[in-house]
Amino acid sequence: MKAVIGLSYYRPMPNLPDPSVALSMQGIGVRFPTGVQALDQLDLELCRGEFLSLLGPSGCGKSTALRLAAGLAQPTTGTMQRAPDMRLGFVFQEPTLMPWATVFDNVRLPLRLQGRSVASVRGEVMQVLDLVGLTEFVNAYPRELSGGMRMRVSIARALATRPNLLLLDEPFAALDEITRGRLDDDLLRIWQEQSLTVVFVTHSVYEAVYLSSRIAVFSGRPGRIVESIDIDAALTRDEAFRASERYARWCVQASAQLSRAYA
Amino acid sequence: MSATQRQSVVAPVLVCVLALALWEGVVRINHIPHYILPAPSLVAQTLWSDLPSLLPSMWFTIKITAGALLLAVVGGVLLAAVFASSRRIENAFFPLAIVLQVTPIVAIAPLILIYIESTTVALLICAFIVAFFPILANTVVGLRSADANLRDLFTLYGASRWQRLHLLLVPSALPYFLAGLRIAGGLALIGAVVAEFAAGAAGRETGLASRILEASFRTEIPRMFAALVLVSMVGIGIFLVFDWLARRLLGRWHDTEMHQSSN
Repeated sequence: MKAVIGLSYYRPMPNLPDPSVALSMQGIGVRFPTGVQALDQLDLELCRGEFLSLLGPSGCGKSTALRLAAGLAQPTTGTMQRAPDMRLGFVFQEPTLMPWATVFDNVRLPLRLQGRSVASVRGEVMQVLDLVGLTEFVNAYPRELSGGMRMRVSIARALATRPNLLLLDEPFAALDEITRGRLDDDLLRIWQEQSLTVVFVTHSVYEAVYLSSRIAVFSGRPGRIVESIDIDAALTRDEAFRASERYARWCVQASAQLSRAYA
Repeated sequence: MSATQRQSVVAPVLVCVLALALWEGVVRINHIPHYILPAPSLVAQTLWSDLPSLLPSMWFTIKITAGALLLAVVGGVLLAAVFASSRRIENAFFPLAIVLQVTPIVAIAPLILIYIESTTVALLICAFIVAFFPILANTVVGLRSADANLRDLFTLYGASRWQRLHLLLVPSALPYFLAGLRIAGGLALIGAVVAEFAAGAAGRETGLASRILEASFRTEIPRMFAALVLVSMVGIGIFLVFDWLARRLLGRWHDTEMHQSSN
């Protein structure tokens, strides 16, 4: 069966099996023109409201899976379906801001590309900037901001179109520990407040356990999901959670799976 | 004016003054006749007295340079847009552009002067040929330099071709284009002067090169120097204009224009 996915912002997908499913991938294989098999027989079902982390070694194809989910790449085999009401937000590994534009204009970009005027979006832009705590820096240029602040701008931009599906590709990998912890907490708060569905690519076991309601562990190349770990979504994620025995147990479990994936 | 700024003005001025004083001293002490090497004071005097006859020539040189530059900008940018949109066209035509670039203009100028009846047009073409390559080459690189993730982002949000061009490609190419423009500015002046030497034109509607030639026939060395000073001043003027333009356009966002404020 031919893959049904376009590059357009979103396109209605036929017959998703279950209304609670946001996105589904079946038997996905991706082979690059170089001959590298990035993904092989990948099956993934993402439910609405989930915070799913894709955890795996570098180069295992988890970023490719995320690009597939966004429609930025096409599968060689298999099918990918997205619920028709899914509105996407995408956060790259780097902040990927336009250096020539202010924070305001960067965050406004997705709305501008939808053809909306400055006047009509000012309120919305300020609202998402407030969500990431950057209202003071609305007129700053990216190069005047710290790495963590740039990432916040990038998140605000992804939220500007009020998405219900947020895809993040190792967004905090380049940040220091403290900044990363703060942004993790911000992301959790936004996930809850905005009732988002999140797919989060990471290679950090601790970050995955701390953030997720479910972790999908990838094997090494060619990538596919070898293990799915459910983390109790109801648990409050804070310092106490980080110190808890259950957190430690999940980390051990995920690490064990990951080292098996590396082998 | 800050201390560092003052330093950046004072040091070069000091070097200039010292060099001129040395020149003046050498000429006076050795009693070098003015028809071999005039002292700076005599050059200044000649410049002042000959200004009425030199100014129209300077104006003519400026017109040729500016006209050629304008043509180079229009031609270079349009061709760059075509090249950047198709590798095949670039591969087919780029060698031709390189041939034009590497062939010394002095060698082509006599031919152009033979084929083109109007000397003014011929001069314009010569100056255009040398000025247009750096604009073309830099703009092609610039248009291709847009960040891959930003391109993906534009795809994700369904940007139109026009939006992609003016919101992403043009701003990405701007620093490259301006660097090319700065080089082209100097080259256009060189082209205009060299072509005029080749033309050996005389008469009213001619530029500074013709004044230098005439003066050399009459061994009016101080007048040669005076015209030379004016050529340099045109060059410096072009440089300052483009430097100012780059500062204005790139302002706060680009690294190359940020050194002064960040140091």
